[in-house]
Amino acid sequence: MPVLWFLSIGFRPRTEIITTQPIYWPTFSLDAWHMIWEDWPMAKYLRNSVLAIIGSVLIDLVLAIPAAYSLSRYTYRGRDDIGFYILSTRMMAPAIVAIPIFFLFRNMGLLDTVWALMLIYAAINLSFVTWIIRSYMMDIPKELEDAAKTDGAGDLRILWEIIIPAILPGIITASVIAMIFAINEFLFTLLIASTPNAYTMSVALANFTGGSDGLIYNAIALVAFLAFVPVFIVVVLIQKHLSRGLTMGAVKG
Amino acid sequence: MGTSNLSGTGADQTAPARPTQKTFKRRSKRLKAWFPYLLVAPAVIYLLLITLYPGIYAIVQSFYAVKFGPWQPVGFANYARLFNDYQFWGALWNTFVIGSISLTLQCLIALAIAFYAYRDPWVKGWRIIFLIPMLFMPSAVAFIYKLFFLDARVFADISIRLGLIDGNIAFQSSIWMSRSILILADVWQWTPFLFIIFVAALQGQDEEVEEAARLDGASWYQIFWNISLPMMKPVIAVALILRGIDITTMFTNVFVITKGGPAFGTETISYFIYRTGFKFFDFGYASSASVIMLILTIIIAQFVVKRAFVSAKV
Repeated sequence: MPVLWFLSIGFRPRTEIITTQPIYWPTFSLDAWHMIWEDWPMAKYLRNSVLAIIGSVLIDLVLAIPAAYSLSRYTYRGRDDIGFYILSTRMMAPAIVAIPIFFLFRNMGLLDTVWALMLIYAAINLSFVTWIIRSYMMDIPKELEDAAKTDGAGDLRILWEIIIPAILPGIITASVIAMIFAINEFLFTLLIASTPNAYTMSVALANFTGGSDGLIYNAIALVAFLAFVPVFIVVVLIQKHLSRGLTMGAVKG
Repeated sequence: MGTSNLSGTGADQTAPARPTQKTFKRRSKRLKAWFPYLLVAPAVIYLLLITLYPGIYAIVQSFYAVKFGPWQPVGFANYARLFNDYQFWGALWNTFVIGSISLTLQCLIALAIAFYAYRDPWVKGWRIIFLIPMLFMPSAVAFIYKLFFLDARVFADISIRLGLIDGNIAFQSSIWMSRSILILADVWQWTPFLFIIFVAALQGQDEEVEEAARLDGASWYQIFWNISLPMMKPVIAVALILRGIDITTMFTNVFVITKGGPAFGTETISYFIYRTGFKFFDFGYASSASVIMLILTIIIAQFVVKRAFVSAKV
């Protein structure tokens, strides 16, 4: 319900939205549509979002696949502690690390860039991605690997040629979930992207709140909807794997 | 950084694996012991950079007064101030109150719907519909609720038309009204998360046991209470922990909808840190609050997550 109503707001003229008497039968208008593309560099925000998100997911995969492989396949001293450490970073409140990260990026000259967002999104999601992939790797029967080993394949070759293709659904699930979290991230984006240089869709929303115009709700609704549609489509495609991904593999389903 | 290093090893190792095998047998043996560490190292280093560094930084900074000029060492003054700051305690309390009510509601609603729907042939469709709130950007959801309750007062208007109330509701001046909006927004957006997980768990349960119980004349709540619920225990624990973490770090809704008001009645810990740090630029003080949070997080993590994730690993 709220979604339909919200969607209707995206296509209404501004005057209809903030009135003391709400208007329930809207008149259709593309005001907001024109506004977000013409008065605001929405295309640039969109590009920022896409770059930061895809970059962060790639970083995550490059780091997480070997890590998950190591955690799921080898037994060695400290393995459980390492795994637990990776998991525990998921629990850190963004607000705790926000201040130091802010200074760190400022000193590195990364403040207000897409690169900073990419790095931070990757860090936020790394624990998630590692654990999801790990859970899929644990399901691979050992015989499969043993067979490859007798054929003389090295460990990394097994990883590359057997395990990665076998857990592709897991990798995709992890990527999609990382993507959603990255799109949704708000606090860091707010702090790091302090000018339109690095604004993403989620902070672009906060953009429409200031200034003499007050809250520009139809634009907010429309931007929210634009960000929602691709996510929704992708999630419907992977919905079989969703519950497992959301619980980092703790629940099979 | 770690990234390039790792992709490098990946590419090299695969290609020349065969010729080196005999010649470097001894070296490869030593490498073998290190190999698993080598594989996790990049990820761990990356996370250490982004968690340990800020952690230490926050601890150091919490012993200084950091305003615009140079850092002034103040010893434990920030902590002493924190201890006497009713706003800080208030923020802890608010986080707890809003979080626990919201979490309880979400869990009960999700359980009820999941138990009702999991054998429904339409469950796939339900799942997709339920997903919708979850997939909206949280900031957008927050704006929806702000508009609905505060700015356009749709809720109040509908209530008046239905004759439920006369006059306007004082959302902006009542602490509990504001808290209710935050709770409602959170429940609306995240009940689907629990629903999806619970449905998956219920579908995974043994159908025959359930069928047998039904034939024996067990009622639905007996089945639920004696069969489904015990089976779901680890799943519920994991789901609640994940959700609980997110709720205790609640920021976006507070930032958009209430700004912590009225009278700091909805200010969560995250918002408290944000406000002292980035609005009053009292970074040292904000850091001391962060450190307290960090310690709480570590304690809770040790206690709960280790157990939940180990038991659910099977």
